[in-house]
Amino acid sequence: MKKLLITLSLILGATPILAENIDVSGTVQSRCTVNVDTPGIYGNPNAYTLTTAPASAGQVPIVRFDVTLANAYFAQISYPTAFTSSPSLPDTVAWTGAVTVVQTSSSDMSGYHAASTTSGSMRQYALTIAGTTWFDATSIATYGGGQNKAFPGGSYKAVVLAQCIAQ
Amino acid sequence: MILRLNLWVLWLLLFCSSSTLANYIFGYTPNAASNGLSWGMNQTYLGTHGIGGMDISGVIYTYNPIKNLADDFVVTVENDRVGGGFVFQDTEDWSQKHPIRIKKVIPLAYTPIAVFGDGRIRTSGTGTIEDASVQYIYRFDACFDPQSDPNCPNYVKPPPPKLPDIPDYDALQDESVKIAQQETDKDLLKDDEKSEEEEEEEEKEEEMEWLLASTENAIAMANGIAQASILKSMNIATNITNYYIAIIPDSIYNETVVLQGGEVVDNRRALRSLSQDARMNEMIEEQYK
Repeated sequence: MKKLLITLSLILGATPILAENIDVSGTVQSRCTVNVDTPGIYGNPNAYTLTTAPASAGQVPIVRFDVTLANAYFAQISYPTAFTSSPSLPDTVAWTGAVTVVQTSSSDMSGYHAASTTSGSMRQYALTIAGTTWFDATSIATYGGGQNKAFPGGSYKAVVLAQCIAQ
Repeated sequence: MILRLNLWVLWLLLFCSSSTLANYIFGYTPNAASNGLSWGMNQTYLGTHGIGGMDISGVIYTYNPIKNLADDFVVTVENDRVGGGFVFQDTEDWSQKHPIRIKKVIPLAYTPIAVFGDGRIRTSGTGTIEDASVQYIYRFDACFDPQSDPNCPNYVKPPPPKLPDIPDYDALQDESVKIAQQETDKDLLKDDEKSEEEEEEEEKEEEMEWLLASTENAIAMANGIAQASILKSMNIATNITNYYIAIIPDSIYNETVVLQGGEVVDNRRALRSLSQDARMNEMIEEQYK
């Protein structure tokens, strides 16, 4: 009986474990952060135009990129090409805009804009210097597909997309 | 035993931390470069906390470089260190670079304001800067000078103001007091009484003299009047002859008024009126009885 038990126990103890999952954890701290510096506001200089131009009571949105590692990230900023919320718009909206560098934390970043590339509404900057860069994105929406029709009354919202992409 | 020791250590730690922690105020100074590209480290430029007790932990500066791409232009922001050198010095070389607004943070270890000398933005090359701003990040210990507030630890109540030196006063040596005392001297009072009697006698003599003088004057005046009357009578004597010569004509002036009827009748109306007046007076008098 003792031997059996042992045998049993041996049999049990020798049962093979064929696979084991071992957790490996780690944290990567971002070396690029994106923050809203100034929210944007559309002004309405006439019935068919919405613009962020301060001259038309608008406010240009400004986004801030902080990188602590040089030559590691791209900043991609896109001006809006559609409203995220608005009244029903049966006619077409024409969108224009621009993204520029407005301020930097180093004179070495002054060449960012000249070295940037565009793709549609998106502009990409290579963040080659560690530091902070402020970008703004102007936006103009015109309603009526060239017919200059009045925007329907209501609330309009659009989004400027700013991303930090690893190189 | 171990528990008691732990409690003792904990109490000691709490006591030490509470006694050394200062009550800091944290903030940013106003723009020190608002009035120019150089500034002093005082309340004029740094606001109310720009005095002893301010420790600076960083500088934030911004400006717009104005230049052409091809030009060489260097901008330096710096603060002198008291005793020589610089507390910080940050240079941006904009030579052959696109001019773009810069905003930079210079972190510093907490540095007492007393260490800071004057600050400035220096430029060299071809270009200028616009819209410059320099702000200091600070903490301020309101009890840096314990005497600034009675609630500060180590505050020492100031001693009362020193009393002015007042010379010793001896009333017995005061001439004014001596004079005042002389007035109450009895001998002097007797002297005064004597002098008053003498004055009264003198006054009587003066009155007598005055009276005598008056009679003399009266006599003199009377003499004058007598002489005047003599002169007057003399004048009358000279002129009276004219009156003797004058002739007054003698004539009779007969009564021309004639009483018609020969009898004077009483005016009854007047009598009635008088009786009414008497009654009226009687009535008036009645009210005072």
